[in-house]
Amino acid sequence: MKALRKFLDKQKPHFQPGGKFEKLESSFEAFETFLYVPDKVTQSGAHIRDAVDMKRTMSFVIIGVIPTLLFGMWNVGYQHFLSFGQHPDILTNFLYGLGKVLPIIIVSYGVGLGIEFLFAQIRHHEVNEGYLVTGILIPLIVPPDIPLWELAVAVAFAVIFGKEVFGGTGMNVFNPALTARAFLFFAYPGNMSGEKVWIADKLDSFSGATPLGQALVGNFHNFPSPHDMFFGFIPGSVGETSTFLILIGGLFLLITGVASWRIMLSVFAGGLAMGWIFNLVGANQYMQLPAWEHMIMGGFAFGAVFMATDPVTSAQTTKGKYYYGFLIGMLAILIRVFNPAYPEGMMLAILLMNVFAPLIDHIIVKSNIKKRLKRAKMMLAE
Amino acid sequence: MHEIINIFVKSIFVDNMVFAYFLGMCSYLAVSKTVDTSVGLGAAVIFVLGITVPVNYLLNEYILKAGALSWLDPAFAKVDLSFLSFIIFIAIIAAIVQLVEMVVEKFSPSLYNSLGIFLPLIAVNCAILGGSLFMQERDYQSIGQATAFGLGSGVGWFLAIVAIAAIREKIRYSNVPPALRGIGITFILTGLMGIAFMSFLGIKL
Repeated sequence: MKALRKFLDKQKPHFQPGGKFEKLESSFEAFETFLYVPDKVTQSGAHIRDAVDMKRTMSFVIIGVIPTLLFGMWNVGYQHFLSFGQHPDILTNFLYGLGKVLPIIIVSYGVGLGIEFLFAQIRHHEVNEGYLVTGILIPLIVPPDIPLWELAVAVAFAVIFGKEVFGGTGMNVFNPALTARAFLFFAYPGNMSGEKVWIADKLDSFSGATPLGQALVGNFHNFPSPHDMFFGFIPGSVGETSTFLILIGGLFLLITGVASWRIMLSVFAGGLAMGWIFNLVGANQYMQLPAWEHMIMGGFAFGAVFMATDPVTSAQTTKGKYYYGFLIGMLAILIRVFNPAYPEGMMLAILLMNVFAPLIDHIIVKSNIKKRLKRAKMMLAE
Repeated sequence: MHEIINIFVKSIFVDNMVFAYFLGMCSYLAVSKTVDTSVGLGAAVIFVLGITVPVNYLLNEYILKAGALSWLDPAFAKVDLSFLSFIIFIAIIAAIVQLVEMVVEKFSPSLYNSLGIFLPLIAVNCAILGGSLFMQERDYQSIGQATAFGLGSGVGWFLAIVAIAAIREKIRYSNVPPALRGIGITFILTGLMGIAFMSFLGIKL
Protein backbone atom coordinates (compact mmCIF):
# COMPACT_ATOMS: atom_id res chain seq x y z
CA MET A 1 0.00 0.00 0.00
CA LYS A 2 2.79 2.39 0.90
CA ALA A 3 4.41 1.83 -2.48
CA LEU A 4 1.16 2.70 -4.22
CA ARG A 5 0.84 5.91 -2.23
CA LYS A 6 4.41 6.81 -3.06
CA PHE A 7 3.84 6.13 -6.73
CA LEU A 8 0.77 8.35 -6.73
CA ASP A 9 2.60 11.14 -4.94
CA LYS A 10 5.39 10.91 -7.45
CA GLN A 11 3.04 11.15 -10.40
CA LYS A 12 0.95 13.91 -8.92
CA PRO A 13 3.06 16.91 -10.04
CA HIS A 14 2.67 15.86 -13.68
CA PHE A 15 -1.03 16.33 -13.38
CA GLN A 16 -1.01 19.59 -11.50
CA PRO A 17 -1.27 22.92 -13.37
CA GLY A 18 1.96 23.40 -15.28
CA GLY A 19 2.71 19.69 -15.38
CA LYS A 20 2.98 17.48 -18.42
CA PHE A 21 -0.56 16.13 -18.24
CA GLU A 22 -2.40 19.02 -16.65
CA LYS A 23 -5.34 18.45 -18.99
CA LEU A 24 -5.88 15.04 -17.44
CA GLU A 25 -5.94 16.32 -13.88
CA SER A 26 -9.45 15.17 -13.11
CA SER A 27 -8.78 11.64 -14.35
CA PHE A 28 -5.82 11.39 -12.02
CA GLU A 29 -7.84 12.82 -9.19
CA ALA A 30 -10.57 10.24 -9.82
CA PHE A 31 -8.17 7.33 -9.51
CA GLU A 32 -6.43 8.80 -6.51
CA THR A 33 -9.59 9.38 -4.52
CA PHE A 34 -10.90 6.02 -5.58
CA LEU A 35 -7.98 4.44 -3.78
CA TYR A 36 -7.48 6.86 -0.89
CA VAL A 37 -9.59 9.20 1.15
CA PRO A 38 -8.89 12.66 -0.28
CA ASP A 39 -6.69 14.86 1.88
CA LYS A 40 -8.39 18.08 0.85
CA VAL A 41 -9.51 20.26 3.72
CA THR A 42 -12.04 23.01 3.34
CA GLN A 43 -10.69 26.45 4.14
CA SER A 44 -13.80 28.30 5.22
CA GLY A 45 -17.43 27.87 6.11
CA ALA A 46 -18.99 25.08 8.11
CA HIS A 47 -16.98 21.92 8.64
CA ILE A 48 -18.37 18.48 9.16
CA ARG A 49 -15.88 15.77 9.94
CA ASP A 50 -17.08 12.47 8.59
CA ALA A 51 -15.44 9.46 7.06
CA VAL A 52 -18.31 9.18 4.60
CA ASP A 53 -17.99 10.96 1.31
CA MET A 54 -19.75 10.45 -1.97
CA LYS A 55 -17.51 7.58 -3.04
CA ARG A 56 -18.19 5.64 0.16
CA THR A 57 -21.93 6.28 -0.12
CA MET A 58 -21.94 5.02 -3.66
CA SER A 59 -19.95 1.92 -2.76
CA PHE A 60 -22.52 1.10 -0.06
CA VAL A 61 -25.22 1.05 -2.71
CA ILE A 62 -23.10 -1.26 -4.84
CA ILE A 63 -22.66 -3.61 -1.89
CA GLY A 64 -26.41 -3.44 -1.45
CA VAL A 65 -27.14 -4.66 -4.97
CA ILE A 66 -24.51 -7.41 -5.05
CA PRO A 67 -26.79 -10.12 -3.59
CA THR A 68 -29.45 -9.44 -6.22
CA LEU A 69 -26.82 -9.28 -8.93
CA LEU A 70 -25.35 -12.67 -8.03
CA PHE A 71 -28.75 -14.24 -7.67
CA GLY A 72 -29.83 -12.64 -10.94
CA MET A 73 -26.91 -14.25 -12.75
CA TRP A 74 -27.85 -17.61 -11.34
CA ASN A 75 -31.48 -17.10 -12.26
CA VAL A 76 -30.64 -16.25 -15.87
CA GLY A 77 -28.96 -19.62 -16.15
CA TYR A 78 -31.70 -21.38 -14.19
CA GLN A 79 -34.46 -20.04 -16.44
CA HIS A 80 -32.46 -20.86 -19.53
CA PHE A 81 -31.89 -24.49 -18.61
CA LEU A 82 -35.41 -24.80 -17.25
CA SER A 83 -36.70 -23.99 -20.71
CA PHE A 84 -34.98 -27.14 -21.97
CA GLY A 85 -36.27 -29.08 -19.00
CA GLN A 86 -32.80 -29.41 -17.54
CA HIS A 87 -31.75 -28.89 -13.95
CA PRO A 88 -27.97 -28.55 -13.81
CA ASP A 89 -26.09 -27.70 -10.62
CA ILE A 90 -25.78 -24.21 -9.21
CA LEU A 91 -22.38 -23.51 -10.73
CA THR A 92 -23.45 -24.30 -14.30
CA ASN A 93 -26.47 -22.05 -13.92
CA PHE A 94 -24.36 -19.31 -12.48
CA LEU A 95 -21.66 -19.51 -15.11
CA TYR A 96 -24.20 -19.41 -17.91
CA GLY A 97 -25.75 -16.31 -16.34
CA LEU A 98 -22.34 -14.77 -15.79
CA GLY A 99 -21.61 -15.17 -19.47
CA LYS A 100 -24.83 -13.32 -20.28
CA VAL A 101 -24.64 -10.58 -17.68
CA LEU A 102 -20.93 -9.78 -17.58
CA PRO A 103 -20.82 -8.30 -21.11
CA ILE A 104 -23.76 -6.08 -20.19
CA ILE A 105 -21.95 -4.81 -17.11
CA ILE A 106 -18.75 -4.23 -19.07
CA VAL A 107 -20.55 -2.29 -21.81
CA SER A 108 -22.51 -0.28 -19.30
CA TYR A 109 -19.42 0.73 -17.33
CA GLY A 110 -17.22 1.15 -20.36
CA VAL A 111 -19.52 3.47 -22.26
CA GLY A 112 -20.80 5.36 -19.23
CA LEU A 113 -17.46 5.92 -17.56
CA GLY A 114 -15.87 6.78 -20.89
CA ILE A 115 -18.35 9.59 -21.42
CA GLU A 116 -18.03 10.63 -17.82
CA PHE A 117 -14.23 10.94 -18.08
CA LEU A 118 -14.49 12.76 -21.38
CA PHE A 119 -16.85 15.33 -19.92
CA ALA A 120 -14.69 15.73 -16.84
CA GLN A 121 -11.65 16.51 -19.00
CA ILE A 122 -13.48 18.93 -21.26
CA ARG A 123 -15.33 20.74 -18.53
CA HIS A 124 -12.50 20.56 -15.99
CA HIS A 125 -14.52 19.16 -13.16
CA GLU A 126 -13.81 16.12 -11.06
CA VAL A 127 -14.93 12.75 -12.30
CA ASN A 128 -18.16 12.07 -10.48
CA GLU A 129 -18.70 8.81 -8.68
CA GLY A 130 -22.40 8.70 -9.42
CA TYR A 131 -21.93 6.54 -12.45
CA LEU A 132 -20.49 3.70 -10.39
CA VAL A 133 -23.99 3.08 -9.07
CA THR A 134 -25.84 3.87 -12.30
CA GLY A 135 -23.53 1.55 -14.17
CA ILE A 136 -24.41 -1.40 -11.97
CA LEU A 137 -28.13 -0.58 -11.83
CA ILE A 138 -28.53 -0.53 -15.60
CA PRO A 139 -27.52 -4.20 -16.10
CA LEU A 140 -29.98 -5.13 -13.36
CA ILE A 141 -32.99 -3.60 -15.07
CA VAL A 142 -32.47 -4.65 -18.67
CA PRO A 143 -33.42 -8.00 -20.17
CA PRO A 144 -30.44 -10.38 -20.16
CA ASP A 145 -30.52 -10.88 -23.93
CA ILE A 146 -30.42 -7.24 -24.92
CA PRO A 147 -28.18 -6.49 -27.94
CA LEU A 148 -25.10 -4.78 -26.59
CA TRP A 149 -25.07 -1.96 -29.13
CA GLU A 150 -28.58 -0.95 -28.10
CA LEU A 151 -27.43 -0.90 -24.51
CA ALA A 152 -24.45 1.26 -25.45
CA VAL A 153 -26.68 3.78 -27.24
CA ALA A 154 -29.07 3.91 -24.30
CA VAL A 155 -26.27 4.37 -21.79
CA ALA A 156 -24.76 7.15 -23.87
CA PHE A 157 -28.15 8.87 -24.11
CA ALA A 158 -28.80 8.54 -20.39
CA VAL A 159 -25.38 9.78 -19.33
CA ILE A 160 -25.26 12.71 -21.73
CA PHE A 161 -28.86 13.91 -21.72
CA GLY A 162 -29.90 12.59 -18.36
CA LYS A 163 -26.89 13.77 -16.43
CA GLU A 164 -23.97 15.54 -18.06
CA VAL A 165 -26.02 18.36 -19.58
CA PHE A 166 -27.07 19.22 -16.04
CA GLY A 167 -23.50 19.24 -14.80
CA GLY A 168 -23.02 15.69 -13.58
CA THR A 169 -23.77 13.76 -10.42
CA GLY A 170 -26.03 15.45 -7.94
CA MET A 171 -27.42 17.96 -10.40
CA ASN A 172 -29.60 15.79 -12.59
CA VAL A 173 -33.37 15.76 -12.51
CA PHE A 174 -34.04 12.27 -13.85
CA ASN A 175 -32.60 9.02 -12.60
CA PRO A 176 -30.01 8.14 -15.29
CA ALA A 177 -30.49 4.39 -14.96
CA LEU A 178 -34.21 4.73 -15.52
CA THR A 179 -33.62 7.16 -18.36
CA ALA A 180 -31.53 4.49 -20.06
CA ARG A 181 -34.25 1.92 -19.47
CA ALA A 182 -36.97 4.23 -20.76
CA PHE A 183 -34.89 5.11 -23.80
CA LEU A 184 -34.51 1.41 -24.63
CA PHE A 185 -38.18 0.88 -24.03
CA PHE A 186 -39.29 3.54 -26.47
CA ALA A 187 -36.46 3.37 -29.00
CA TYR A 188 -36.38 -0.41 -29.45
CA PRO A 189 -39.81 -1.56 -28.38
CA GLY A 190 -39.46 -4.79 -30.33
CA ASN A 191 -36.86 -6.07 -27.94
CA MET A 192 -38.25 -4.58 -24.80
CA SER A 193 -41.99 -4.97 -24.70
CA GLY A 194 -44.55 -7.61 -25.29
CA GLU A 195 -44.75 -10.76 -23.29
CA LYS A 196 -41.50 -12.21 -24.52
CA VAL A 197 -39.43 -9.48 -22.93
CA TRP A 198 -37.67 -11.10 -20.14
CA ILE A 199 -36.71 -14.53 -21.32
CA ALA A 200 -33.04 -15.30 -21.14
CA ASP A 201 -32.73 -16.59 -24.67
CA LYS A 202 -35.16 -15.59 -27.35
CA LEU A 203 -34.05 -18.30 -29.73
CA ASP A 204 -35.30 -21.19 -27.68
CA SER A 205 -38.90 -22.15 -27.89
CA PHE A 206 -39.57 -21.47 -24.25
CA SER A 207 -42.62 -19.27 -23.77
CA GLY A 208 -41.64 -18.05 -20.33
CA ALA A 209 -43.48 -14.78 -20.04
CA THR A 210 -43.07 -12.83 -16.84
CA PRO A 211 -45.90 -12.88 -14.32
CA LEU A 212 -46.67 -9.30 -15.30
CA GLY A 213 -46.92 -10.19 -18.96
CA GLN A 214 -49.20 -13.09 -18.09
CA ALA A 215 -51.39 -11.00 -15.85
CA LEU A 216 -51.82 -8.34 -18.49
CA VAL A 217 -53.17 -10.75 -21.07
CA GLY A 218 -55.37 -12.30 -18.40
CA ASN A 219 -53.54 -15.60 -18.24
CA PHE A 220 -53.81 -16.64 -14.63
CA HIS A 221 -53.35 -20.38 -15.03
CA ASN A 222 -49.97 -21.72 -14.10
CA PHE A 223 -49.23 -18.38 -12.49
CA PRO A 224 -46.06 -18.73 -10.41
CA SER A 225 -46.60 -19.32 -6.71
CA PRO A 226 -46.04 -16.41 -4.30
CA HIS A 227 -43.13 -18.34 -2.87
CA ASP A 228 -41.40 -18.45 -6.25
CA MET A 229 -42.11 -14.81 -6.91
CA PHE A 230 -40.82 -13.75 -3.50
CA PHE A 231 -37.58 -15.65 -3.75
CA GLY A 232 -37.24 -14.91 -7.43
CA PHE A 233 -37.39 -18.20 -9.34
CA ILE A 234 -39.24 -16.48 -12.16
CA PRO A 235 -38.25 -15.00 -15.51
CA GLY A 236 -37.46 -11.33 -15.29
CA SER A 237 -34.79 -8.68 -15.57
CA VAL A 238 -31.50 -9.68 -14.02
CA GLY A 239 -31.90 -7.87 -10.73
CA GLU A 240 -35.60 -7.56 -10.13
CA THR A 241 -36.83 -11.10 -9.61
CA SER A 242 -35.85 -11.84 -6.03
CA THR A 243 -37.82 -9.60 -3.69
CA PHE A 244 -36.19 -11.34 -0.75
CA LEU A 245 -32.63 -10.38 -1.69
CA ILE A 246 -33.72 -6.89 -2.69
CA LEU A 247 -35.15 -6.44 0.77
CA ILE A 248 -31.88 -7.60 2.30
CA GLY A 249 -30.05 -5.06 0.16
CA GLY A 250 -32.60 -2.45 1.20
CA LEU A 251 -32.08 -3.29 4.87
CA PHE A 252 -28.36 -2.77 4.39
CA LEU A 253 -28.99 0.63 2.81
CA LEU A 254 -31.28 1.60 5.66
CA ILE A 255 -28.81 0.53 8.35
CA THR A 256 -25.98 2.46 6.73
CA GLY A 257 -28.30 5.43 6.33
CA VAL A 258 -27.78 5.71 2.60
CA ALA A 259 -31.40 5.35 1.51
CA SER A 260 -34.44 7.07 2.93
CA TRP A 261 -36.81 4.77 4.83
CA ARG A 262 -39.59 7.29 4.32
CA ILE A 263 -39.54 6.82 0.57
CA MET A 264 -39.27 3.03 0.72
CA LEU A 265 -42.09 2.74 3.20
CA SER A 266 -44.38 5.07 1.36
CA VAL A 267 -43.78 3.42 -2.01
CA PHE A 268 -44.94 0.11 -0.59
CA ALA A 269 -47.83 1.81 1.19
CA GLY A 270 -48.89 3.51 -2.02
CA GLY A 271 -48.73 0.27 -3.96
CA LEU A 272 -50.74 -1.59 -1.34
CA ALA A 273 -53.34 1.17 -1.14
CA MET A 274 -53.85 1.18 -4.90
CA GLY A 275 -53.96 -2.62 -4.93
CA TRP A 276 -56.68 -2.58 -2.29
CA ILE A 277 -58.67 0.02 -4.17
CA PHE A 278 -58.56 -2.23 -7.23
CA ASN A 279 -59.55 -5.20 -5.08
CA LEU A 280 -62.61 -3.27 -3.96
CA VAL A 281 -63.52 -2.39 -7.54
CA GLY A 282 -62.65 -5.87 -8.76
CA ALA A 283 -63.81 -5.23 -12.31
CA ASN A 284 -61.55 -7.85 -13.87
CA GLN A 285 -59.27 -10.66 -12.85
CA TYR A 286 -56.19 -8.45 -12.78
CA MET A 287 -57.87 -6.08 -10.34
CA GLN A 288 -58.75 -8.97 -8.08
CA LEU A 289 -55.11 -9.96 -7.70
CA PRO A 290 -54.26 -9.61 -4.01
CA ALA A 291 -52.61 -6.26 -3.34
CA TRP A 292 -49.56 -7.78 -1.70
CA GLU A 293 -48.84 -9.91 -4.74
CA HIS A 294 -48.13 -6.74 -6.70
CA MET A 295 -45.27 -6.05 -4.30
CA ILE A 296 -43.40 -9.21 -5.25
CA MET A 297 -44.12 -9.09 -8.98
CA GLY A 298 -41.89 -7.46 -11.55
CA GLY A 299 -39.67 -4.56 -10.62
CA PHE A 300 -41.79 -3.09 -7.85
CA ALA A 301 -39.50 -3.95 -4.95
CA PHE A 302 -36.39 -3.16 -6.94
CA GLY A 303 -37.72 0.22 -7.92
CA ALA A 304 -38.85 1.00 -4.39
CA VAL A 305 -35.53 0.09 -2.80
CA PHE A 306 -32.90 1.15 -5.30
CA MET A 307 -34.52 3.54 -7.74
CA ALA A 308 -37.05 5.65 -5.88
CA THR A 309 -34.61 6.31 -3.04
CA ASP A 310 -32.04 7.97 -5.29
CA PRO A 311 -31.20 10.98 -3.11
CA VAL A 312 -30.68 13.31 -6.07
CA THR A 313 -33.85 12.86 -8.06
CA SER A 314 -36.31 12.19 -5.25
CA ALA A 315 -38.09 14.82 -3.20
CA GLN A 316 -35.77 16.52 -0.75
CA THR A 317 -38.16 17.65 1.95
CA THR A 318 -39.12 15.26 4.74
CA LYS A 319 -42.83 15.56 4.17
CA GLY A 320 -42.35 15.62 0.43
CA LYS A 321 -40.71 12.19 0.56
CA TYR A 322 -43.92 10.62 1.83
CA TYR A 323 -46.00 12.11 -0.97
CA TYR A 324 -43.34 11.28 -3.53
CA GLY A 325 -43.12 7.64 -2.50
CA PHE A 326 -46.84 7.16 -2.08
CA LEU A 327 -47.58 8.54 -5.53
CA ILE A 328 -44.92 6.30 -7.09
CA GLY A 329 -46.50 3.23 -5.54
CA MET A 330 -50.00 4.20 -6.63
CA LEU A 331 -49.00 5.16 -10.17
CA ALA A 332 -46.95 2.00 -10.67
CA ILE A 333 -49.92 -0.24 -9.92
CA LEU A 334 -52.26 2.03 -11.87
CA ILE A 335 -50.10 1.83 -14.99
CA ARG A 336 -49.71 -1.92 -14.61
CA VAL A 337 -53.40 -2.60 -14.44
CA PHE A 338 -54.80 0.11 -16.71
CA ASN A 339 -52.23 0.52 -19.42
CA PRO A 340 -52.27 -2.34 -21.91
CA ALA A 341 -49.11 -1.00 -23.56
CA TYR A 342 -46.82 -1.45 -20.58
CA PRO A 343 -46.76 -4.57 -18.44
CA GLU A 344 -44.48 -2.85 -15.93
CA GLY A 345 -45.33 0.54 -14.49
CA MET A 346 -42.60 0.99 -11.93
CA MET A 347 -39.98 2.55 -14.18
CA LEU A 348 -42.33 5.09 -15.71
CA ALA A 349 -43.97 5.86 -12.38
CA ILE A 350 -40.62 6.78 -10.87
CA LEU A 351 -39.62 8.83 -13.90
CA LEU A 352 -42.92 10.64 -13.77
CA MET A 353 -42.51 11.44 -10.11
CA ASN A 354 -38.96 12.63 -10.84
CA VAL A 355 -40.70 15.24 -12.99
CA PHE A 356 -42.92 16.30 -10.14
CA ALA A 357 -40.50 15.95 -7.20
CA PRO A 358 -39.26 19.56 -7.44
CA LEU A 359 -42.88 20.73 -7.51
CA ILE A 360 -43.71 18.69 -4.41
CA ASP A 361 -40.72 20.24 -2.64
CA HIS A 362 -41.76 23.68 -3.76
CA ILE A 363 -45.28 23.24 -2.38
CA ILE A 364 -44.01 21.84 0.93
CA VAL A 365 -41.51 24.65 1.38
CA LYS A 366 -44.12 27.27 0.53
CA SER A 367 -46.62 25.80 2.99
CA ASN A 368 -43.96 25.68 5.71
CA ILE A 369 -43.19 29.33 5.13
CA LYS A 370 -46.86 30.17 5.34
CA LYS A 371 -47.32 28.17 8.54
CA ARG A 372 -44.35 29.81 10.22
CA LEU A 373 -45.41 33.28 9.18
CA LYS A 374 -48.79 32.62 10.68
CA ARG A 375 -47.22 31.38 13.89
CA ALA A 376 -44.95 34.41 14.06
CA LYS A 377 -47.89 36.71 13.52
CA MET A 378 -49.84 35.01 16.29
CA MET A 379 -46.89 35.38 18.63
CA LEU A 380 -46.64 39.04 17.75
CA ALA A 381 -50.32 39.55 18.39
CA GLU A 382 -50.13 38.03 21.86
CA MET B 1 -71.00 11.02 -17.85
CA HIS B 2 -68.47 8.22 -18.06
CA GLU B 3 -67.39 9.49 -21.45
CA ILE B 4 -66.95 13.03 -20.11
CA ILE B 5 -64.67 11.89 -17.27
CA ASN B 6 -62.77 9.77 -19.76
CA ILE B 7 -62.20 12.75 -22.05
CA PHE B 8 -61.18 14.96 -19.15
CA VAL B 9 -58.58 12.55 -17.77
CA LYS B 10 -57.33 11.64 -21.21
CA SER B 11 -56.77 15.24 -22.22
CA ILE B 12 -54.81 15.91 -19.04
CA PHE B 13 -52.43 12.97 -19.17
CA VAL B 14 -52.58 11.00 -22.39
CA ASP B 15 -53.11 13.78 -24.93
CA ASN B 16 -51.19 16.35 -22.96
CA MET B 17 -50.93 19.56 -24.99
CA VAL B 18 -47.26 20.03 -24.20
CA PHE B 19 -45.84 16.53 -23.97
CA ALA B 20 -47.93 14.77 -26.59
CA TYR B 21 -48.38 17.54 -29.17
CA PHE B 22 -45.74 20.13 -28.16
CA LEU B 23 -48.26 22.94 -28.47
CA GLY B 24 -48.04 26.25 -26.68
CA MET B 25 -44.29 26.02 -26.44
CA CYS B 26 -43.53 29.74 -26.69
CA SER B 27 -45.13 30.81 -23.45
CA TYR B 28 -44.29 27.43 -21.89
CA LEU B 29 -40.60 28.12 -22.44
CA ALA B 30 -40.66 31.84 -21.72
CA VAL B 31 -42.76 32.10 -18.57
CA SER B 32 -41.55 28.98 -16.77
CA LYS B 33 -38.70 30.62 -14.90
CA THR B 34 -40.52 30.71 -11.55
CA VAL B 35 -43.36 28.63 -10.19
CA ASP B 36 -45.46 31.62 -9.12
CA THR B 37 -45.77 33.24 -12.53
CA SER B 38 -46.25 29.90 -14.23
CA VAL B 39 -49.16 29.13 -11.90
CA GLY B 40 -50.72 32.43 -12.98
CA LEU B 41 -50.25 31.77 -16.67
CA GLY B 42 -51.37 28.17 -16.31
CA ALA B 43 -54.56 29.28 -14.58
CA ALA B 44 -55.17 31.81 -17.35
CA VAL B 45 -54.76 29.07 -19.95
CA ILE B 46 -57.20 26.77 -18.12
CA PHE B 47 -59.69 29.62 -17.99
CA VAL B 48 -59.32 30.60 -21.63
CA LEU B 49 -59.41 27.02 -22.90
CA GLY B 50 -62.37 26.22 -20.66
CA ILE B 51 -64.35 29.06 -22.24
CA THR B 52 -63.17 29.18 -25.84
CA VAL B 53 -63.55 25.48 -26.59
CA PRO B 54 -67.27 25.27 -25.69
CA VAL B 55 -68.00 28.63 -27.33
CA ASN B 56 -66.25 27.52 -30.48
CA TYR B 57 -68.03 24.20 -30.22
CA LEU B 58 -71.38 25.98 -30.37
CA LEU B 59 -70.22 28.09 -33.30
CA ASN B 60 -68.95 25.04 -35.09
CA GLU B 61 -72.10 23.08 -34.42
CA TYR B 62 -74.62 25.76 -35.43
CA ILE B 63 -72.80 27.90 -37.98
CA LEU B 64 -69.62 26.45 -39.42
CA LYS B 65 -70.15 22.75 -39.94
CA ALA B 66 -71.44 21.40 -43.23
CA GLY B 67 -75.21 21.72 -43.06
CA ALA B 68 -75.05 23.38 -39.66
CA LEU B 69 -77.15 26.30 -40.80
CA SER B 70 -80.17 24.19 -41.61
CA TRP B 71 -81.77 25.26 -38.31
CA LEU B 72 -82.26 28.69 -39.95
CA ASP B 73 -83.79 27.47 -43.13
CA PRO B 74 -83.74 24.04 -44.79
CA ALA B 75 -82.41 25.78 -47.89
CA PHE B 76 -79.07 26.25 -46.13
CA ALA B 77 -78.57 22.53 -45.69
CA LYS B 78 -75.87 22.44 -48.35
CA VAL B 79 -73.87 25.40 -47.01
CA ASP B 80 -70.49 24.53 -45.57
CA LEU B 81 -68.74 27.38 -43.80
CA SER B 82 -65.95 25.35 -42.25
CA PHE B 83 -63.37 27.23 -44.35
CA LEU B 84 -64.09 30.14 -41.98
CA SER B 85 -63.27 28.21 -38.84
CA PHE B 86 -59.70 29.46 -38.45
CA ILE B 87 -60.66 33.10 -38.59
CA ILE B 88 -63.75 32.72 -36.43
CA PHE B 89 -61.94 30.66 -33.79
CA ILE B 90 -59.09 33.14 -33.61
CA ALA B 91 -61.47 36.08 -33.32
CA ILE B 92 -63.34 34.42 -30.46
CA ILE B 93 -60.10 33.55 -28.71
CA ALA B 94 -58.75 37.08 -29.07
CA ALA B 95 -61.95 38.56 -27.67
CA ILE B 96 -61.96 36.24 -24.68
CA VAL B 97 -58.29 36.84 -23.96
CA GLN B 98 -59.02 40.57 -23.89
CA LEU B 99 -61.69 39.84 -21.34
CA VAL B 100 -59.34 37.79 -19.19
CA GLU B 101 -56.72 40.51 -19.40
CA MET B 102 -59.14 43.11 -18.13
CA VAL B 103 -60.31 40.88 -15.31
CA VAL B 104 -56.74 40.07 -14.22
CA GLU B 105 -55.69 43.70 -14.40
CA LYS B 106 -58.60 44.71 -12.23
CA PHE B 107 -58.32 42.02 -9.57
CA SER B 108 -54.63 41.11 -9.45
CA PRO B 109 -52.30 43.86 -10.65
CA SER B 110 -49.25 41.97 -9.39
CA LEU B 111 -50.09 38.93 -11.47
CA TYR B 112 -50.85 41.23 -14.38
CA ASN B 113 -47.41 42.77 -14.09
CA SER B 114 -45.58 39.48 -13.76
CA LEU B 115 -47.38 37.95 -16.74
CA GLY B 116 -46.46 41.02 -18.76
CA ILE B 117 -46.63 40.58 -22.48
CA PHE B 118 -47.59 36.92 -22.25
CA LEU B 119 -51.19 37.45 -21.29
CA PRO B 120 -52.10 39.11 -24.60
CA LEU B 121 -49.90 36.49 -26.22
CA ILE B 122 -52.25 33.76 -25.00
CA ALA B 123 -54.36 34.88 -27.94
CA VAL B 124 -51.78 33.42 -30.28
CA ASN B 125 -50.83 30.54 -27.98
CA CYS B 126 -51.01 27.49 -30.21
CA ALA B 127 -52.41 25.40 -27.36
CA ILE B 128 -55.54 27.55 -27.32
CA LEU B 129 -56.21 27.47 -31.05
CA GLY B 130 -55.07 23.85 -31.03
CA GLY B 131 -57.73 23.07 -28.43
CA SER B 132 -60.47 24.47 -30.65
CA LEU B 133 -59.16 22.74 -33.76
CA PHE B 134 -58.79 19.40 -31.99
CA MET B 135 -62.35 19.85 -30.76
CA GLN B 136 -63.50 20.29 -34.34
CA GLU B 137 -61.42 17.44 -35.67
CA ARG B 138 -62.38 14.93 -33.00
CA ASP B 139 -66.01 15.77 -33.45
CA TYR B 140 -67.17 15.73 -29.84
CA GLN B 141 -70.79 14.77 -29.37
CA SER B 142 -72.00 17.29 -26.80
CA ILE B 143 -71.06 20.59 -25.28
CA GLY B 144 -70.26 18.75 -22.05
CA GLN B 145 -67.61 16.73 -23.81
CA ALA B 146 -66.19 19.83 -25.45
CA THR B 147 -65.98 21.63 -22.11
CA ALA B 148 -64.35 18.62 -20.47
CA PHE B 149 -61.82 18.52 -23.27
CA GLY B 150 -61.08 22.25 -22.99
CA LEU B 151 -60.69 22.18 -19.22
CA GLY B 152 -58.67 18.97 -19.31
CA SER B 153 -56.27 20.33 -21.91
CA GLY B 154 -55.89 23.45 -19.80
CA VAL B 155 -55.16 21.45 -16.67
CA GLY B 156 -52.64 19.35 -18.58
CA TRP B 157 -50.89 22.46 -19.82
CA PHE B 158 -50.97 23.92 -16.31
CA LEU B 159 -49.37 20.79 -14.84
CA ALA B 160 -46.68 20.84 -17.52
CA ILE B 161 -45.69 24.46 -17.03
CA VAL B 162 -45.76 24.28 -13.23
CA ALA B 163 -43.67 21.11 -13.21
CA ILE B 164 -41.05 22.54 -15.52
CA ALA B 165 -40.97 25.79 -13.56
CA ALA B 166 -40.21 23.86 -10.36
CA ILE B 167 -37.50 21.88 -12.16
CA ARG B 168 -36.00 25.06 -13.56
CA GLU B 169 -35.93 26.57 -10.10
CA LYS B 170 -34.12 23.46 -8.92
CA ILE B 171 -31.55 23.31 -11.73
CA ARG B 172 -30.57 26.88 -11.07
CA TYR B 173 -27.95 25.24 -8.83
CA SER B 174 -26.84 22.83 -11.54
CA ASN B 175 -23.69 23.32 -13.51
CA VAL B 176 -25.25 23.39 -16.98
CA PRO B 177 -22.81 23.95 -19.86
CA PRO B 178 -22.92 27.66 -20.74
CA ALA B 179 -24.15 27.04 -24.28
CA LEU B 180 -27.20 25.19 -23.00
CA ARG B 181 -28.24 27.54 -20.22
CA GLY B 182 -31.76 28.91 -20.41
CA ILE B 183 -33.85 27.76 -23.33
CA GLY B 184 -31.52 24.94 -24.45
CA ILE B 185 -31.70 22.97 -21.24
CA THR B 186 -35.43 23.63 -21.06
CA PHE B 187 -35.90 21.94 -24.43
CA ILE B 188 -33.90 18.93 -23.26
CA LEU B 189 -35.91 18.82 -20.05
CA THR B 190 -39.16 18.98 -21.97
CA GLY B 191 -38.09 16.02 -24.06
CA LEU B 192 -37.19 13.99 -20.99
CA MET B 193 -40.49 14.94 -19.36
CA GLY B 194 -42.21 13.82 -22.52
CA ILE B 195 -40.62 10.39 -22.07
CA ALA B 196 -41.94 10.24 -18.52
CA PHE B 197 -45.41 11.28 -19.66
CA MET B 198 -45.45 8.47 -22.20
CA SER B 199 -46.31 6.23 -19.25
CA PHE B 200 -49.91 7.23 -19.84
CA LEU B 201 -49.87 6.47 -23.52
CA GLY B 202 -52.45 3.85 -24.32
CA ILE B 203 -54.40 4.03 -21.05
CA LYS B 204 -58.09 3.44 -21.59
CA LEU B 205 -60.59 4.21 -18.89
